[in-house]
Amino acid sequence: MMSSVPAADKKSKLLVYSVEECPVCGQKTKRAFAVGDYVTKDGSKCAKCGNQSRVSLVYAESSKPSS
Amino acid sequence: MFKSEPRLPILELSSSLLPSVALQVSGDTSTLLYIVFFMGLFVFQFAFGTRIQVYFALNDIGRGLTKLKAMKEKSRKEAIDYLVNVGKAPGDPSQRVDQFLDYVTIMPVGIDPQGLVNKIDHVVTTNNDRVRAEVTALVAQNTPVTVSISENLLEVATALNMIHKVVRHYYILGKKTNSYFTLIQLQMLMPMIIQESDALLNAVDSFKVGQPVGDGIGPVSVSRLMVGKEKRAIAKDTVMAITEYKGRKLYVVKADGPMAYVGQPGVAIRKVVEEMGVKPSAIIMIDAALKLEGEKTGEIAEGVGAAIGGIGVEKFQIEEVATHNKVPLYAILVKQSILEAITVMRKEIAEASEKVVQTLQRVIEEKTKEGDDVIVAGIGNTLGVAQ
Repeated sequence: MMSSVPAADKKSKLLVYSVEECPVCGQKTKRAFAVGDYVTKDGSKCAKCGNQSRVSLVYAESSKPSS
Repeated sequence: MFKSEPRLPILELSSSLLPSVALQVSGDTSTLLYIVFFMGLFVFQFAFGTRIQVYFALNDIGRGLTKLKAMKEKSRKEAIDYLVNVGKAPGDPSQRVDQFLDYVTIMPVGIDPQGLVNKIDHVVTTNNDRVRAEVTALVAQNTPVTVSISENLLEVATALNMIHKVVRHYYILGKKTNSYFTLIQLQMLMPMIIQESDALLNAVDSFKVGQPVGDGIGPVSVSRLMVGKEKRAIAKDTVMAITEYKGRKLYVVKADGPMAYVGQPGVAIRKVVEEMGVKPSAIIMIDAALKLEGEKTGEIAEGVGAAIGGIGVEKFQIEEVATHNKVPLYAILVKQSILEAITVMRKEIAEASEKVVQTLQRVIEEKTKEGDDVIVAGIGNTLGVAQ
């Protein structure tokens, strides 16, 4: 009967990252998401083999460790 | 004439008992008060209990309604800000946005169900075309990505506007008619309504900056198969690429990214089969699926059938093609909540894309043989996911 509307959400802050992957050597680099990033977009040169890497994933992670 | 009437036995009994009871009660005033209190409480509860519950329900719903109003206004403001700042709308788009929020789509009559799906398709397509045309006219920076994001932001604002209106309607109706059951039902639904509205509002943040949402796991998975291959437009907002896997020819379909499109996978699959003359041995669909409470986000489930949500038009078209041509339909699903599906893609979901591709390869190997044709469709909103 009493308050059933949830109180303010206890959300943890989400940080969004882009993962660049080298299609040749498979080296993965994780960096902060930048506006304009999208999956399959060309990224920077691979630090390991120098080939053109590509954004393979964009995802969010909680800033708090998940319980 | 009444002087010798006999006394009734019950009166005799009561007259003999009453003095003794009175003596006992007067001997214990607290017991009497106790009885009176609980009898009073019982009568009060009986007479006013419902009214008290109605009072609490109205308070609860009122608080929820205030939240919904704030959400509705925030989403409207975000849409206007996006149109002005990113879309570079030449004038003040507020009035046009307000008109847009109240625009209605009238679904066709269902009393004669024959051909109903085509009618729904027609109405929905008309509406989608109208939205696209209006948004394109509204913004100066009318690139496909900006227009598609604007469309999605306006859809969110429209949905929140509608939710607020419907809840307010039942709140006022329940208050006016003092209808206990209307208010209690609404009060029970409020937590779910707030949760879904909150999810919609959170989606705005992802849409504004073009981040992939959880629903985009299908497109993310199939984009791995399409990278570097020649793409062609196969239906409205939908692309296809041809690739190979262990001697099988794969026709990979997804919405055209990185725009916030869902495309027309039903039309695309029908065209591959009927217009291109492909005779697939299997149609494999990859989509996000709503998890049940207790299920893990990013878990993969396999099944049969058309894995696609929405109003049902696309699902109908795919089932029609598959049934008519006797092509088995297989589904690969990635579990997630409604909040995760419409907000920025979580790590667990994104990382499931590798497992999805492995599952897809296993299904292809198990269900088809070398030389076969297979259609693979990545279903979902492809915002932030190109190919």
